[in-house]
Amino acid sequence: MSTDETTATWPDVRSDAKSQEFFAAAEAGELRIRRCTDCAALLAPESTTCLECYSTELEWITAAGTGTVVTWTVVHRAPSPAFAALVPYTVAVVELTEGPWLYTRLADGVPDRAGAPVRAVYLQASGGEHYPIFTLTEGSL
Amino acid sequence: MTAAIAGLGCTDVGKVYGQSASDFAAEAVRLAAADAGLTLNQIDGLLVTPGTQGRPTLSLQKQLGLRDLSLLSEVHALGASPAAMLSMAARAVESGAASAVACVFADAPLKPKGSARDAFGGGNRRIPAGFAGLHVANGAITPNVFYAMAARRHMETYGTTSEQLGAIAVGQRAWAGMNPDAQFTAPITLADHQASPMVADPFHLLDCCVVSNGGAAVIVTSAERARDLAQPAIHILASAQAHPGQVMARGSQFGLVTGAAQSGPEAMRRAGITPGDVDLLELYDSYTYTVLVTLEDYGFCAKGEGGDFVADGRLAPGGSLPCNTGGGQLSSYYLTAFTPIIEAVVQGRGHAGERQVADRDVIVVSGSGGVLEHHSTLVLSPNAPEGVVG
Repeated sequence: MSTDETTATWPDVRSDAKSQEFFAAAEAGELRIRRCTDCAALLAPESTTCLECYSTELEWITAAGTGTVVTWTVVHRAPSPAFAALVPYTVAVVELTEGPWLYTRLADGVPDRAGAPVRAVYLQASGGEHYPIFTLTEGSL
Repeated sequence: MTAAIAGLGCTDVGKVYGQSASDFAAEAVRLAAADAGLTLNQIDGLLVTPGTQGRPTLSLQKQLGLRDLSLLSEVHALGASPAAMLSMAARAVESGAASAVACVFADAPLKPKGSARDAFGGGNRRIPAGFAGLHVANGAITPNVFYAMAARRHMETYGTTSEQLGAIAVGQRAWAGMNPDAQFTAPITLADHQASPMVADPFHLLDCCVVSNGGAAVIVTSAERARDLAQPAIHILASAQAHPGQVMARGSQFGLVTGAAQSGPEAMRRAGITPGDVDLLELYDSYTYTVLVTLEDYGFCAKGEGGDFVADGRLAPGGSLPCNTGGGQLSSYYLTAFTPIIEAVVQGRGHAGERQVADRDVIVVSGSGGVLEHHSTLVLSPNAPEGVVG
């Protein structure tokens, strides 16, 4: 089965021990974030220490997969040759409904304002892990 | 006892090929020692900060043939390193731990056939596994991308415009036109800024700093000793650093407030001055926006008013607050925060020729690293602090 031509050109992502659960969930269409088992603070997926209480006892929970755009940039000049055929593309900071921020990419469209709502969509590049990016649900230029 | 910058050395900068970063570093230290009127064996402290390729390192000591050092270290706080090194050197001198400390940076990211983008973009670097790889795979790499998102947030929050950022680039290019060491000296207009290629929206090419090969060093001694050396002493009145970290969660001030908001006011408090006392600003300017947000965080204008503050040419030649008078990293050369430090020393000595500013009693210098989360500040003066015979 052929993959979407647009997504097939993005670099592959590989999981490691710390990210295995995150990427496995993405394949099932779920976005996982971290929760502190001591104080219940919700944290970005790559967190290793609680921002609130400095605990290292973190667990995975499933987030809603919704959020808003904090800021973004449309990248016109490829940062490396691997992206030469992909520009222009939009990188964004998304604030999840649960609070944590993610550096991510928008699948299509450019936000018309900070605060534009987004939801997660799940991609797989040519052969690597599935992973979430975001799409504007309104407020696209 | 207080400390002063007694020597300054800078190699040829820009598209200078055939020398490694370590070679540039060694040359810069030799030049700085000679400038101060010191021989290499009078240097007893060496602080090194590496460039993008991880050189120079501690092995610079061997390359220079230095022996009997009482202080030797690599200092690494990204763009905050140079001012941090000078601060460490000043404390070493003040405590008696060392008497003449060389602080050096060098880098050689430009290759004859490579572009600047290749130099800092990592080329075809291997994508790491895990979350770090996810950012790379999404193209969320290079400082351009992250600083652009910081600037965009400022624009969305306060209404800052690309034209206001452009006013900074135009003013600095006018300064660069009077600097024989600058890489780009041809005058530009706001229209040129707006017409320059988009790199990462909202940054045009002319919002971004240049890339340079080269090296720079200073020699820090006691103020008393500097008085008897070859050059006018530039006194280190105060310094400060701030590393607030970057919180990636709701409530984060990313793009709006930086480490400068703690470091700048604290350095000025330690020097007993306020922004109104500052004659000359030499600010780290990786991007136009870096200057704008630093002006706000240092208290030269209110938060959110940086755009209006810079739009009228206040920072440019003839303006009321001369800033980045050598052209800065945007037009002159990029040697991390040695770019502003070098210009501060040259101006402070009164050696800036055509671009020399009249009032130079209080000079504030900034260094900024990472994506605005590492900051360092120096307050410098050609005048000895009260009570010090300089």
